[in-house]
Amino acid sequence: MVDHGRISLKGVNVFYGKNQVLKDISLNIPAHSITVIIGPSGCGKTTLLKCFNRLLDEVEEARVEGEILFDGQNIYAPEVDVTQVRKRMGLLSQKPQVLPMSIYENVAFGPRIHGLQNKKKIDHVVEKYLRLAGLWDEVKARLSEPASRLSIGQQQRLCLARGLAVEPEILLCDEPTSALDPQSSRNVEAQLLRLKENYTIVLVTHILRQARRLADYVAFLYLGELIEFGPASEVLTSPQDPRTRAYITGEIS
Amino acid sequence: MLRQPLSADIRLKRRKRLDRAFHCLMLISASLVVIFLLLILGIILGKSLPALKISMITRTPGTGYYLGQEGGILNAIVGSMEITTGATLLALIIALPGVIFLNTYLKKKSAWAELIRLMLDILWGIPSIVYGAFGFLLMLTLHLRASLLAGMVTLALVELPILARSVDETMRLVPSELKEAAFSLGASRWQTATRVVLRQVFPGLITAILIALGRGLGDAASVLFTAGYTDRLTTSLLQPVATLPLAIFFQLNSPFPEVQQRAFASAAILTLMILAISLAARFLGRHLGRHRIK
Amino acid sequence: MKKEGLAARVSGLSAFFPVVLVSAIFLAIFLKALPLLSLKSWSHLIFSSAWQPQKGEFGLWPFIIGTLSVTAVAFLLALPVSLFTALYLAEYAPNRARKMFLPAIDLLAGLPSVIYGMWGMLMVVPLVSKYLAPLFGTSSSGYCLLTAGVVLAVMIMPTIIHVSVEVLGSVPVSLKEAALALGATRFEVVRYVILKKARPGLLAACILGLARAFGETIAVLMVVGNVPEIPRSLFSPAYPIPALLANNYGEMLSIPGYESALNLAALILLLLVIIFSLLARLYLSRLIRRSV
Ligand SMILES: Nc1ncnc2c1ncn2[C@@H]1O[C@H](COP(=O)(O)OP(=O)(O)O)[C@@H](O)[C@H]1O
Ligand SMILES: [Mg+2]
Repeated sequence: MVDHGRISLKGVNVFYGKNQVLKDISLNIPAHSITVIIGPSGCGKTTLLKCFNRLLDEVEEARVEGEILFDGQNIYAPEVDVTQVRKRMGLLSQKPQVLPMSIYENVAFGPRIHGLQNKKKIDHVVEKYLRLAGLWDEVKARLSEPASRLSIGQQQRLCLARGLAVEPEILLCDEPTSALDPQSSRNVEAQLLRLKENYTIVLVTHILRQARRLADYVAFLYLGELIEFGPASEVLTSPQDPRTRAYITGEIS
Repeated sequence: MLRQPLSADIRLKRRKRLDRAFHCLMLISASLVVIFLLLILGIILGKSLPALKISMITRTPGTGYYLGQEGGILNAIVGSMEITTGATLLALIIALPGVIFLNTYLKKKSAWAELIRLMLDILWGIPSIVYGAFGFLLMLTLHLRASLLAGMVTLALVELPILARSVDETMRLVPSELKEAAFSLGASRWQTATRVVLRQVFPGLITAILIALGRGLGDAASVLFTAGYTDRLTTSLLQPVATLPLAIFFQLNSPFPEVQQRAFASAAILTLMILAISLAARFLGRHLGRHRIK
Repeated sequence: MKKEGLAARVSGLSAFFPVVLVSAIFLAIFLKALPLLSLKSWSHLIFSSAWQPQKGEFGLWPFIIGTLSVTAVAFLLALPVSLFTALYLAEYAPNRARKMFLPAIDLLAGLPSVIYGMWGMLMVVPLVSKYLAPLFGTSSSGYCLLTAGVVLAVMIMPTIIHVSVEVLGSVPVSLKEAALALGATRFEVVRYVILKKARPGLLAACILGLARAFGETIAVLMVVGNVPEIPRSLFSPAYPIPALLANNYGEMLSIPGYESALNLAALILLLLVIIFSLLARLYLSRLIRRSV
């Protein structure tokens, strides 16, 4: 009874050294929808995202307890290979991080390391995902330029295309618009809305209006605890918990 | 729908092997570096501690010392201390006001500041043998003989860029808000620099001085033609002076095993002095920072 | 505020001192080298291999080759070890290992060159003459190019490692995470992302190491053999410029042109080192500009 592409957390605790930053989180991320995680800064949103694709493995002092099931399989189980997990989850970070290579190479990077060698196929993949990220028309004439020459908004969409090219099922987005101007933010939001048909999206944001625009489900995280989780319409309009209400009305931020 | 497995497939296993091989290579390299360090320290201390007698540090070379007779290298120990202390002080006096000027009177990106920093970089890269040659030419022009004074000046030139660059590095990190706060209290530039900025960088300054001191203590090429060498203690600026690196160098070239033994012992003394200085630099750098604003 | 003005002027003078010093060193050595340059052509002095001061032959070629080859051997030995070690420290090592390793590296960097030279005489020389040379079917006193290269390599490794670790540390963590999130292994992150991003800085680290190697005197002098001939193999002696200067500069020989020739050698060394300092500076500042 496991939906495709669904993640579920069972009693997840995360520690940085002795400091516990996530406390007993249990949560089901529904497939083919946008789940938005909101909460004041420092409450553990980024940490939660990094649990999903095991980027926390790279943080020496971090320790994860509990189970994170992906398609019913615990991704922290010993037989699981971390690159496989990451390959199936794309990441869009706060500040776009283009790789130090050309626009084309940025998108081709993932497919190449995962074994795609045929030049024609790679060309095809690059075009397909640049289109999907809504960037193709802007960059098709300058594919061999260094990616760092793109505007910051274009860079973020390039990162999106790069992540999509690995053919993930989940997209993890950590405040993907916080470094962008309003116009570019709208653009990225529009892409995410289009993508949710085929992908399961987890989006971290601290902008409530963005949550309203995009969310199907909302999770409110406060001081490392999951306070409330449910359909966006319920959580954002009639929250059950007083802390959620306080956050939504702008009393805590 | 067919689920992809989360365990590694064949291609991925190959990539992982490459990853591990690379990891091994790096571990090997790092171990090599550690082994070299241990080998060097081991052989210096192992060869030399047995040869270390108390007379080495309490006596100057007696007659026939270089043929294996009695004596010690007190002359070189004292000489090294004299010349290095003097050179470091001199370098400090020349460099410090300039570094302050660079950081308080000049704008961060001004062309002058760039030029001066470039020159410091160049000076830093100039080998000490070239400083030695320059010092020798200077000596000839001024009609000086090889002496404590000449050696000290030359060594000061070697230490100058080391000192200036590391003090400059720490001063550049002083937040400009701190300076602005001092200015807004009505402090002049010079007062700000000496009372606020200098206090803020004090631990860094001490570390820089100790690093320069360590370099000066170990430098042989710059004093080779400028400091001369003597078996007696040096009591005036115009007398020649012995230094530890040169004492080691000369004794190593001796055909007598007894004298070579003493070279090893001298090396141990020099190494221990350098170790002490670098430990002091580390310790003081960590513990002097109490009044600093983070 | 008279005092203030005086302080500004005095400290300004002090700030200007490096400019004066560089010019003074360059001019002093250049002027001393000039007499020989007016007698013989640059190219003759540089490319002639005849070094016979008594006969007025001052070909510096063996010394130039000596300098270049000792440096090259040292660099080739030091580079891979240093880069791998730096990558290990910056990307793979646990924090605790890094905290112990870096001070040890700095310690290695702080040891005087005469100590390195002594280590070379005690360990590397016998190793080369007794084992390595016979292994390659030749004989060698051990005082040779290879020994000097090994000693020098160990000396410049700390410099290269230290700067490289700093450069690698400046690559943003989120960039590494971006690559990892695509399913790249750590090796792939290093190979395709980090090395590319850090390349100018790593180059600068290498250039700084090279600059240090060019000028190293005492340690090399003690193990290189000091024979003014062009070395034929790794096991033949060589005679780099710093050793030439150290052995002869202080003695005022009354051979005409001799002093001038030594100063010309010093000038060549100085120019080499200045060029390398400028290159390192160029690459480092480009790195900084790019990362802003
Ligand atoms: N590498 C780390 N080491 C120690 N503490 C960390 C580390 N990263 C984050 N933290 C702490 O964990 C808490 C949660 O951080 P984060 O997940 O980044 O919050 P958010 O993304 O919601 O702003 C914060 O209090 C932060 O200080
Ligand atoms: Mg965050």
